Amino acid sequence: MSTPLLAVESIELAYGDVPAVRDVSFKVDEGEIVTLVGSNGAGKSTTLRGVAGLMRPRRGRIVFQGRDITSLPAWERAIAGIALVPEGRRVFPFLTVRENLEMGGYKDRRDGARVGARIERMLDMFPRLRERAGQRAGTLSGGEQQMLALTRALMSEPRLLCLDEPSLGLAPLVVQEIFRGIRAINAAGTSVLLVEQNARYALETASRGYVLQTGGVIASGPCTELMHDARVRQAYLGRG
Amino acid sequence: MNDLATLLVQQSINGVYLGCLYVMVALGLTLIYGVMNQINFAHADFVTVGAFTAFFVATRFATKVLGLGDAAAYLVSIFVALGAGAVLGLLVNALVFAPLRERGDELRPLIATIGISVLLENGQLALFGPIPFQFDSPFAKETIRFGRIFFTGQSVLVVVVSMLAIGALYAFMKFTFTGKALRAVSQDRETAGLMGINPDFLIGLTIVIASAMAGMAGALIGPVLVLTPFAGATVIVKAFAIVIIGGFGNIEGTILAGILVGIIEAFTVQYLGSGLIDLVVFVLLLVMLVVRPTGLIAERREENV
Ligand SMILES: Nc1ncnc2c1ncn2[C@@H]1O[C@H](COP(=O)(O)OP(=O)(O)OP(=O)(O)O)[C@@H](O)[C@H]1O
Ligand SMILES: [Mg+2]
Repeated sequence: MSTPLLAVESIELAYGDVPAVRDVSFKVDEGEIVTLVGSNGAGKSTTLRGVAGLMRPRRGRIVFQGRDITSLPAWERAIAGIALVPEGRRVFPFLTVRENLEMGGYKDRRDGARVGARIERMLDMFPRLRERAGQRAGTLSGGEQQMLALTRALMSEPRLLCLDEPSLGLAPLVVQEIFRGIRAINAAGTSVLLVEQNARYALETASRGYVLQTGGVIASGPCTELMHDARVRQAYLGRG
Repeated sequence: MNDLATLLVQQSINGVYLGCLYVMVALGLTLIYGVMNQINFAHADFVTVGAFTAFFVATRFATKVLGLGDAAAYLVSIFVALGAGAVLGLLVNALVFAPLRERGDELRPLIATIGISVLLENGQLALFGPIPFQFDSPFAKETIRFGRIFFTGQSVLVVVVSMLAIGALYAFMKFTFTGKALRAVSQDRETAGLMGINPDFLIGLTIVIASAMAGMAGALIGPVLVLTPFAGATVIVKAFAIVIIGGFGNIEGTILAGILVGIIEAFTVQYLGSGLIDLVVFVLLLVMLVVRPTGLIAERREENV
């Protein structure tokens, strides 16, 4: 069996002394889209923050491409190939759209031409961003900021793209646009770890999923199975 | 030109000269506040260290040891003071700020900067004593005149050198990858980390740049200071006012506010007397806080993030 791209082994993550994630394990294989679903406060965002290195686990291990990255800070994990689109988008409000994208490509800053070419590709993907390339990111609409946060994360050409609720607060058409983007990114070879409030979308997009509840994994499996799991149907999909 | 016009031009020139000096000091405070949300109470003492460094280089080392002429010696001393400031910044970051940052609280670094200030002042007091040094710039004797408008070579030098330094900093922040990353860190440190930016390195770099500018400002301002170990304190109060008027952490605002305060000071001296300068500056500060609490150029924090 080949080593998974990402293996999270029994991590515990806490804010101060209060644990938000108690004992979570999961893995993402090369080329997969994996989703974490769960109700509000289940610990999904916290888990992603742990993967990206914004929080250090108190227990457990995180292994990326066979390398133990548990104690690496966020910036080194970014260089190793992990990108996170954080909850709430977090674009740099006083940098322009183009400058935000440049920051996404920071690790390749010595090759300006390459960063420039990538920016062009991102602006092709979302023409709305191209129209606003010179505008401060803080003045963009929510949907535009989400597109920017997504493309900014792609600027580093990550091996693993972690997405925290990319559809939050967006109109259905924009959500479709974003999910089309995610599938295209995955088709091009990037593995995706997806957290999504809209469980139906998430389970349709991903191949495997994990169900989180109060800081632990209560179910996991292929999305086709999870979609028929009674607990998942009741809690997240309505009864339909 | 009639008398009034001459006076206006003359005082404006004086004002820009003063403003440049203030901007050099204030920019360091603004930069550090921007990336660390931290006020560096030792900044004034970095200016003093720069002034003393320049004094000894210009009047002893460069002239007596290197055998340079007075003018060349002073020019060299400006760059040595810049370097001294940078080294001081490097040390303070490595020994104080970086270790305290690990522990992640806000109050300790603030108190530490007060400690550094006391240390630097008393250290210099032990070395140099309380009696003011006479630091004459060789350029102060040269007077340049255009019709009835006068200025000294020193003021031209100050304006040119500080404009170059300020311009270089501005271009660095605006156009280089590292400068943009620095702004990213000041807007959202955590997210900057997600970009592969090492925030600790950039914060250290900011402290070094800020301190180097303070050191350089010390060399430029030294000749008009009463050069004692406490000399920096006389400019720092105005520098703080400028940082606030310019909108905490805002570089453009700080540059504008610095020049503005310089010009206001020049005209206050002309019309009201030098005793009222601080009064006028702080009335301006209070008015700004009431009318535009976000500073001259409102840009920070209140937009939709
Ligand atoms: N900054 C914080 N400080 C303290 N507790 C926090 C913080 N952020 C989250 N928590 C707590 O950690 C737990 C997990 O939160 P988390 O944000 O990971 O949930 P989530 O699954 O992403 O929820 P949602 O679907 O609402 O985004 C919650 O109980 C929350 O209250
Ligand atoms: Mg969340």
